[in-house]
Amino acid sequence: MTGILSYGIYVPAWRIARETIATAGGIFSAGGERSVAGWDEDSVTMAVEAGFNCIGDMDPGEIDAVYFATVTPPFREKQSSAFIAAALDLKNTARTYDITDTLRSSTQALQAAWNDVKSGTARKVLVVAADCRPAAPRSQEEQFYGDGAAAILLGEGAVIATIDGFATAANALPGVWRRETDRYPSSFDARFNKKCGFLQDVPTAISSLLSAAGLTVGNASKFVISVPDPAGTLEIARLLKLDMATQLEDLLFSQVGLTGSPHCLLLLSRALGKSKEGQYIVCANYGDGCDAVLIKTIAAADTITESGAGIINKKKLVRSYGRFSAIKEAAEPGSLRKQGNPSIVKYWRDQKWGLRRYGMRCNNCGTLQYPISICCLKCGAMDNHVDVRLSRRGKVFSYTHDLLLGPGCTESDGINPCTRAIVDLDDGCRIFIEMTDNVPEEVDIDVPVELSLRLLHEKGDFAVYGWRAKPDK
Amino acid sequence: MKKGIKDRVAIIGTGVTRFGELWDKDEKALLAEAVHTACGEAHVDLQKQVEAVWVGTQYTSSGIAGGAFTEALKVYGKPVTRCENFCATGMDAVKNAAYAVAAGIHDIVLACGVEKLMDQGSHGLPGLNEIHPLQTGTSMPAIFAPCAVRAFKQWGWSKEDLARVVVKNHHNGAKHPLAHFRKEVSLEVVINAPMISYPLGLYDCCAMSDGAAAVILTTPEIAREMIGPGNYVTIKGIGHSVYSLNPFNDPDFTGLSFPANLRAAKMAYDDAGITNPAKELDFGIVHDCFSINELLSMQDMGICKHGEAADMVRSGGTAIDGAFPVNPDGGLKCFGHPIGATGVRMICELTRQILGRAEGYQVKNARAGFAHNLGGPFTTSMITIVGTPDWEAGG
Repeated sequence: MTGILSYGIYVPAWRIARETIATAGGIFSAGGERSVAGWDEDSVTMAVEAGFNCIGDMDPGEIDAVYFATVTPPFREKQSSAFIAAALDLKNTARTYDITDTLRSSTQALQAAWNDVKSGTARKVLVVAADCRPAAPRSQEEQFYGDGAAAILLGEGAVIATIDGFATAANALPGVWRRETDRYPSSFDARFNKKCGFLQDVPTAISSLLSAAGLTVGNASKFVISVPDPAGTLEIARLLKLDMATQLEDLLFSQVGLTGSPHCLLLLSRALGKSKEGQYIVCANYGDGCDAVLIKTIAAADTITESGAGIINKKKLVRSYGRFSAIKEAAEPGSLRKQGNPSIVKYWRDQKWGLRRYGMRCNNCGTLQYPISICCLKCGAMDNHVDVRLSRRGKVFSYTHDLLLGPGCTESDGINPCTRAIVDLDDGCRIFIEMTDNVPEEVDIDVPVELSLRLLHEKGDFAVYGWRAKPDK
Repeated sequence: MKKGIKDRVAIIGTGVTRFGELWDKDEKALLAEAVHTACGEAHVDLQKQVEAVWVGTQYTSSGIAGGAFTEALKVYGKPVTRCENFCATGMDAVKNAAYAVAAGIHDIVLACGVEKLMDQGSHGLPGLNEIHPLQTGTSMPAIFAPCAVRAFKQWGWSKEDLARVVVKNHHNGAKHPLAHFRKEVSLEVVINAPMISYPLGLYDCCAMSDGAAAVILTTPEIAREMIGPGNYVTIKGIGHSVYSLNPFNDPDFTGLSFPANLRAAKMAYDDAGITNPAKELDFGIVHDCFSINELLSMQDMGICKHGEAADMVRSGGTAIDGAFPVNPDGGLKCFGHPIGATGVRMICELTRQILGRAEGYQVKNARAGFAHNLGGPFTTSMITIVGTPDWEAGG
């Protein structure tokens, strides 16, 4: 059977209370918290995290294609999915696609991926969606938005759900836009976007989807409705006459915020986890019109839901608006300090260890080591090793909090230390690595850590991705 | 059949500039001052008698190729070699110069080193960030700090143990006329200073500094003839060992002892015929780029057992009047670390102590001692042992 094999989500470790944003700006608080991508995270790094959580221990070599859906690709010209595929260690014959520019990119990617697996042009296809949307300081969006990612793996095998239909309601409404040179999204009027946008398009797409399948609203156990307004979801639910208590999937607004392209998949993963066998889920994704997807569950997958809940519940608070602004500013493309100009050729040449996270095991003395090098660091044997994909998890052997040199070898601000750790990975390989997402107090000898793909720096005016270690609790 | 270096090379002249933030001097002025001072002390004519030159600079901004020497001194035509080997850069210049004399290739040679760190406007050693885009580098204190963390865990050492090294070295350096910092510091000040790279605070780290140093080397026979007994010392042993640039990738790395140190120490001690350095030598100049390194390296040098360095410092064993004085000059703590100059300066300090010329910071009965550099991420370790011409191990 062909269908959804697995799914995974990623929400950054950091949250900020909307009250903190509101107080700083002298504006209203929408309540709850929003997620905040760390300064070294972007849509690519978050997509990789969601991808890992989705594919788990599966052999990534079985994946024939990856679709990356986002409205915040780090490069205007350069394919993000190629980096994502490398970091996930997909084979280099895997097809890579970026689908961008609309919040519907995720459902469009899902449909394209579905077409691939149904037509047999690919056996397994990974859909990853991620966004890290900029918002103007003190704007409503700054509170509404959250950062996150979600991934779904489609293919043949032990599926947990099938996709039984797609429908679309297109709309050339101005809505929300961001031109090439715009720093933040613009829109005309939220009331206009609501009345002439999602209040029309979402019901239209859902009706079209259900009628094509010969179903009614009452036949679906869950509705996932992603629109750019938390109150709008409730209005649509009322229009559709849903049973609010059971049929409407929570928007995650109070814990995460509206994450953009990945949001409907994020909510879908929640709905899938809660569903029993043989139930229908309707997934509506608004953005320049609406896509609706009909999903029928084959088997429950509670364990994945638990890990998803863990990701959402595991959080650290950004305690001031100043810190939040500093994180967001650092996350702006090109804003990471860029002293120096290390050879970009090396980044390409060494991507097997740099992006794909391989070490090598010496055939002569057996030492597992990082990075890959021509001669063994222990015995000097030349060109006599096998490449081994390294474990993501390990323990701190020793560490320091460096206030002299910042992460990515940029000048430190002298206030926020860069934690550097010597880590013994579970497979016995030892690496020296920068830490991220940690507060100094969390780090000690033997503390467990997990490797995470991050934006290392932007020297040479290029986004250089590589591995950092984060606390693994 | 190899002969070793013992008593085959004499040091007949030393020159050291003031070390510090020398904003009004360039590297040429510093190097020229050090070289002419050394030549003057040795009664050697630079143009006519010095046959070959080795010059140490770490950064090309302080000098490049043989031009590092010729541009400063405007002395042309000699074979000049620039050396670079991290913190052992200067001592490597001395080593190669000494080897040339011992090999009988040259009679009188110059080894010198200079670094103008302050001109680079960096708060730590600059230029470590261009090596590889994926191995983004680290600050120097962040290399030694994880060792301190391990030592704290392994032996129960504390920030106070590190601070005692600093207090001792400042006590010594306060009396040295050429030191960058000539002041005593209290334990409280050191412990409470701003953090640089946990657990190393401001005083645990040597300063950025400018300076130059030079030595004139020749054979003991020529030395005796030229300046007479009592005015020169001889090299007793040289050890040099280079290990990985990425020691933290080695699963066997402990952070408590450095293989390059152990290997270099053995080479130098074997050269000199030493079996018990703490007894047979009178003092040591240990690379205290960071306080933790003085403790760990003096253990590697065999001054005390592993794990006992903090106790030895606490009991005053390494004080200038202790059983084995370490860094009687004040060390890098007080001189800062103009890299190319440091190793050469240490050789000058050995010479001056042994000739009884270390006025104000003289170690009593100093007949032989060693100088040590540990450069990079524990990558390159070098030890030079110097003594009176008649000194013999075990004697």
